[in-house]
Amino acid sequence: MTDTLQIRPEAAAAPKPAIPLPTAAARAVTAAGAVLTAASAFLSWTYSSQFPGDLTLSGYPGGLQWITFTGGLLTLVYLLVGYGTPGLRGLAPGGAEGTTVILAVGAAASTWFTLIAISVELGGLANLTTGGWVAGIASLLAVVGALGLPRDGQHPQGHRLGALLYPGKRPELAPAKRLAPAFEVGIVLLTLAAALGVFAYGVDTSYAELFAGFLILAGFAAWALNRSGDFARLGEIMQRHRVLATVGAFVAAGLFPFTQTSSNAEANANLGVSILIFAATALGLNIVVGLAGLLDLGYVAFLGVGAYTAALVSGAAGTAFNVQFPFWAAALLGAVVSGIFGVLLGAPTLRVRGDYLAIVTLGFGEIFRIVVQNLDGTSGPNVTNGAIGISNVPDLNIFGFDFGSAHSFGPFDIGRFANYFELMLIFTAIIVLVFARSANSRIGRAWVAIREDETAATAMGINGFRFKLLAFALGATLAGLAGTVFVHVNYSIVPDTFQFAGPTPPNSAFLLAAVVIGGMGTVSGPLVGASLFFLLQAKLSFLHDYQLLLFGITLILFMRFRPEGIIPNRRRQLEFHESQTEDGQEGPTPELRTAEA
Amino acid sequence: MHELPQNLVNGLLLGATYGLIAVGYTIVYGIVQLINFAHGEIFMTGAFGALSVYLGLGSGTSMWIAIPLMLLGAIVTSTVIAVLTERLAYRPLRNAPRLAPLITAIGVSITLQQLVWGFYPSAKSPRVFPSLPGGPFHVGGVLIQSADIFVVVAAVLSTLFLAYFVRTTRTGRAMQATAQDPDTAKLMGINTDRVIVIAFALGAGFAGIAGVAWGLRYGEIKFDMGFLTGLYAFTAAVLGGIGNIYGAMLGGLVLGLVQNLTAIYIADIPGMSQFSSQSWSSVWAFVILILVLMVRPQGLLGERVADRA
Repeated sequence: MTDTLQIRPEAAAAPKPAIPLPTAAARAVTAAGAVLTAASAFLSWTYSSQFPGDLTLSGYPGGLQWITFTGGLLTLVYLLVGYGTPGLRGLAPGGAEGTTVILAVGAAASTWFTLIAISVELGGLANLTTGGWVAGIASLLAVVGALGLPRDGQHPQGHRLGALLYPGKRPELAPAKRLAPAFEVGIVLLTLAAALGVFAYGVDTSYAELFAGFLILAGFAAWALNRSGDFARLGEIMQRHRVLATVGAFVAAGLFPFTQTSSNAEANANLGVSILIFAATALGLNIVVGLAGLLDLGYVAFLGVGAYTAALVSGAAGTAFNVQFPFWAAALLGAVVSGIFGVLLGAPTLRVRGDYLAIVTLGFGEIFRIVVQNLDGTSGPNVTNGAIGISNVPDLNIFGFDFGSAHSFGPFDIGRFANYFELMLIFTAIIVLVFARSANSRIGRAWVAIREDETAATAMGINGFRFKLLAFALGATLAGLAGTVFVHVNYSIVPDTFQFAGPTPPNSAFLLAAVVIGGMGTVSGPLVGASLFFLLQAKLSFLHDYQLLLFGITLILFMRFRPEGIIPNRRRQLEFHESQTEDGQEGPTPELRTAEA
Repeated sequence: MHELPQNLVNGLLLGATYGLIAVGYTIVYGIVQLINFAHGEIFMTGAFGALSVYLGLGSGTSMWIAIPLMLLGAIVTSTVIAVLTERLAYRPLRNAPRLAPLITAIGVSITLQQLVWGFYPSAKSPRVFPSLPGGPFHVGGVLIQSADIFVVVAAVLSTLFLAYFVRTTRTGRAMQATAQDPDTAKLMGINTDRVIVIAFALGAGFAGIAGVAWGLRYGEIKFDMGFLTGLYAFTAAVLGGIGNIYGAMLGGLVLGLVQNLTAIYIADIPGMSQFSSQSWSSVWAFVILILVLMVRPQGLLGERVADRA
């Protein structure tokens, strides 16, 4: 038989679209929907300017209308990619149709979220004007059209609604062609700029509705880019230009305060520096939990040890020691003291089985809080000023640079929190460096070996106790280092900050969740997880009473459906889905197969 | 020193409550090697279940009728919640690496706490729990409340029941077999899933009883009372040797004694006078735990077992 007579296997296996439409018609419907969705952003959506962002004006999109506009535009772009538009074809190596579906659904979801928010807040659908209805219907039209496109992914069998609507798993990617080096560098820089832009926009969202809309679209867009294979390709390119990507990421992060020019700049910089402290601490925890596999449930106490140490030697009024160390000395001292506590705690407990460590660290976290609360002069010697805490921690002054006041750099005014943001960024860089260097060294491999199977690791000549203690102490040291900045940023420190679980980060449960949900054992995972968690609790403050409840449910659902986290470590992903491949329910994805090999 | 007997009694009573909760930790850990962090919250929901029954009975009901019904309400509430969490949250993760169910357990713990806080009527502040009539009794200089008698009776009966159940019934022996080697137990025709559910339910039932005991002794219950109490109870289970049912009771008693006695007698050590108040007692409890783990890592009654890879 000749090749021409054979039906290509993938063509035979390709399932029918969820909505049977001729391909051309489906494309036309999707395109019309996407264009109309994007265009509707320029119409007026409501009569009343009471809804935040003022969506009443024609021609001047308000915040949530920009979200809809972006959603429509992205849908259109990937539709054109699927149509084979020259110059765009490389954008979806994993298939553009599934991507288009996800983007269309994302655009519709964020649009309908806005429409529902308007109706609920202003009282009824009557508050929507023609523009609002156009947006709603057009976005649904795009979804209908996208579902009629030919399917290009690996689809589950069956005719259940879920199987029909599922946009398909990304098929195996063909090896990528290398692009011209200059082009690749350009892509790296562009990606970093885009990431900075998205992050800065998310931080700058000034009302909860806008943040929620942003989050919906961002979530769907991230899913879409993963489905399209763009993330995988970008990952390869980033890997080839690792140094540039890393340095560039820090430069981009350093530029963050300069992107904040609105009246909220200081508040946003405050948010930024809090995220950095939280993320850096989570990264330290990732050494303990992600690399060495030791469950530390009282990690925030080490942040507290560093913070209190720095506060005690900062010259703040009301502390037991009336000394003022220069900041470098205070930072070192905080890190060292925290590390010592780590050794003191780890030495007796790391010899026994891993599960005991969880309870001892949980106990330590509580003890730290109680002790600090009791060292107030009445129920103990006065060291930490008890429950009132240490306040008026002076601002830092390094080489004559006063962190407490605003400075001008050309056209930019950099305020107090922005100063600390840049300082914390340096600390974060140190922590990332320590993490990356130790993870890729003999020590890191020993940690992973111990995590996987301590008995086997010991048999291979690894001193389990020593390496576990090293991980534990190193994690404590890094948290202490982050704590020294933490106390200066916040002016003051109180024991109640260091709970196991509370409504605001940092606390041990949030830190652990940031690591686990971000992705254990990776650098970017905890950073992403920490940013996400921090922004969620800071922006969705209207949920105040139910935030912790949602947090708990999120933990359960994440462990159920994506235990490897948002950014999975390859080895871990394999581990978590082992049973599925054995049962034959789900074949290993291509990356896993290469990881296995 | 005249208050020593009183403090011993108080310590043992507190310890008996810890022991009742610790049993739940130890059974579940013995069978699935999971630290069920949500167990403290199961204890808390048991107390709230009992309170609901009491409120539903109307004010005229005699406590002698109310108490058995409250106990039943507590046991049913905590058992149902425990079995549901096992079914929905833990079972899908049966073969996942150990960290995953632990994180789930933390999630369940926070969720249950917040559910009670947010949705139980006026549970945002402590709720008054009914008290037992009669008492207090003076027995040789020791003051005993009627709730204390309830604690003693409940702890003794529960431990005896558990010992009988685990040793002699078919299900109890199946539990022992599953704890020793789940795979072989399965080969022997034991439905391990069922055994695990029973382990969760048993532990939850005891936690429910402990919830009633706690409410009766302290007169009020709170949405977050399960966290620290659960922490101590788990400490007690570790102290006694985790996986060992009698160890859990023993560990509870030891821990209760330590907490009560340190609160009084640390002050007698020269230079330590400031470290003896109630607020330091949890610190001493954990110090004892760390000391025991250093000297006897398997706990007081635990056997040294090889690491299961």
